[in-house]
Amino acid sequence: MATLQKELNRVHLDEQNPAVTEEKAILFDSSRCSGCKGCMVACKTWNKLPSPLELNSQKEGWQGSLQCPYDLGPNTRLTITFNEDGADRMWGVNWAIGRRACMHCTDAGCVTVCPSGALYKNEFGMVSYDREKCIGCSYCKGACPFDVPRHMGTDDLSGVSLRINKCTGCPDRIAHGMDPACVSTCQPGALMFGNRDEMIKIANERVAVLQGKGFDKARVYGIDEAGGTHVIYVLKYGIEQYELPENPSVSGLTAASEIMKPVLGVGSIALAAGLGLCFLRGVGYKRDELRYDEVNHDVIDVETGEVVKHIDKEAGER
Amino acid sequence: MAKVRFIQRHSLLTRIVHCTIAVACVWLMISGLFVFIPPLAAASPDLARFMKITHRIVGVIFICMPIFGAVGSPGGVKAFFGKYLRKWTPEDFEFLKKFVPYMLSPKKVHMPDQDEVKSGQRFADGMLVIGGVMMAISGMALWLGTTVCPLPAGVLTVMRFLHDLFFLVMVVFVVAHIFLGAGIFQPYRGGTVKLMFGNGQVSEANALYHWGFWAREELEDGKNVVVKTVPDEDRKRISSKASLGTEPDATAKLEEAPQD
Repeated sequence: MATLQKELNRVHLDEQNPAVTEEKAILFDSSRCSGCKGCMVACKTWNKLPSPLELNSQKEGWQGSLQCPYDLGPNTRLTITFNEDGADRMWGVNWAIGRRACMHCTDAGCVTVCPSGALYKNEFGMVSYDREKCIGCSYCKGACPFDVPRHMGTDDLSGVSLRINKCTGCPDRIAHGMDPACVSTCQPGALMFGNRDEMIKIANERVAVLQGKGFDKARVYGIDEAGGTHVIYVLKYGIEQYELPENPSVSGLTAASEIMKPVLGVGSIALAAGLGLCFLRGVGYKRDELRYDEVNHDVIDVETGEVVKHIDKEAGER
Repeated sequence: MAKVRFIQRHSLLTRIVHCTIAVACVWLMISGLFVFIPPLAAASPDLARFMKITHRIVGVIFICMPIFGAVGSPGGVKAFFGKYLRKWTPEDFEFLKKFVPYMLSPKKVHMPDQDEVKSGQRFADGMLVIGGVMMAISGMALWLGTTVCPLPAGVLTVMRFLHDLFFLVMVVFVVAHIFLGAGIFQPYRGGTVKLMFGNGQVSEANALYHWGFWAREELEDGKNVVVKTVPDEDRKRISSKASLGTEPDATAKLEEAPQD
């Protein structure tokens, strides 16, 4: 498998099939998802991401939910969320099944803040990365409005092995006309993959059907959020059941931090210029050599012997 | 032979702590640039990773050294805060008011006498202390919060912002501190660098120029005054740093000056 993957990766996309360079998207239809988690298994299998095998060994611990792992992790790029709204009722549960993974934003904060260029947007519009370039600064974690990026090697205090791990959108598969691993294994057809425009069209049609069936809160998510994501959601129930922010946006502090780079550049030039001017103005400076006669409280010019200042102690001078 | 008076201004412990922090601070700034400036990290991720690791090791030194100094000399810490948090005198305000004109025209603008720590020093060093503390707190949060003690993404964003913000503050005040302290600015030339990177002594003439009130108090007290004998031909060489004393104070220590 490893050899095959390396071979696949070597093929240059544009030479093979220029048509696949169109903007792509994954469509997740929550109304069709059965919560089988086959997509999670496919993701781990294709990307060789291990899972702990010991009983109840997930770091997050047992949450009393089908949602396990409970959150994304160093080796978990995708998890299926389960929300049991209405569980306080005697019967009838609005069991909302969601999907948590990278949303592949158009306005990707993680790409903006990545100092080494490890994170980038590929030709499909997906946010991918070159792990060899990752320096483990973890800035992407704070910049993501969906709290998605996770890092491997977090148990290493030195940070030597700290590297990003998140959904890449399987660009190696896409480049060869294949669906991302998660999509390829979805039995009920909740996951689809194709041109983004087409996925949005399908999503809108599906929402219309759902609303027609009485699911008033059904909506499409991802068309405009974060500049337009490359994972489009059909939400069967209200958004509050899907661990998704209503208005995802990159934190203002992240933007402010980015502004500091040009500020530092301009400030450094200004500082250098200012100090350079001071230096030039100070060239040739000479001052009289003074000494202090502590008996008579006189400050005396050494060369001339002249008293330049008398300290009147009785008057309170120092 | 001529007699030259010096005042012992800084202890050995102070100089060791300052020297270590200074080197650490410069290294932290350089290594931090590999994360702060994207083209540097992109050009060589391996070098950036190496810098990141050294950033953490040196960061620990940067944080531990002041603690080591405080433990080694609790009285010194008390004296430090006493010097920096004292009430501002009219001369202190005058000093700050004249600072920019003085920097641009040191031959014409004359500064007022100052106590042991100039008002400008108090402001600048205060910014360095605040900046250093904030860098230490935010740096530790960014380090531990992304490794063994995971912090929420929002907290990391705030810490990153603070780390970047106080980096800018540190750049301004560290560079200015070096410009003056190392004597790159000519009026400050002639021994100020030795206060922290030498024997910690300041010549009488220099002390009277920079910290008039403090120098006169010290010379009257005599406790920290060191008298050195130097060859007459060396007096001119030291002229900007020292002056010939009259009769040295009885309590002053007499040392042979190094013949360098």
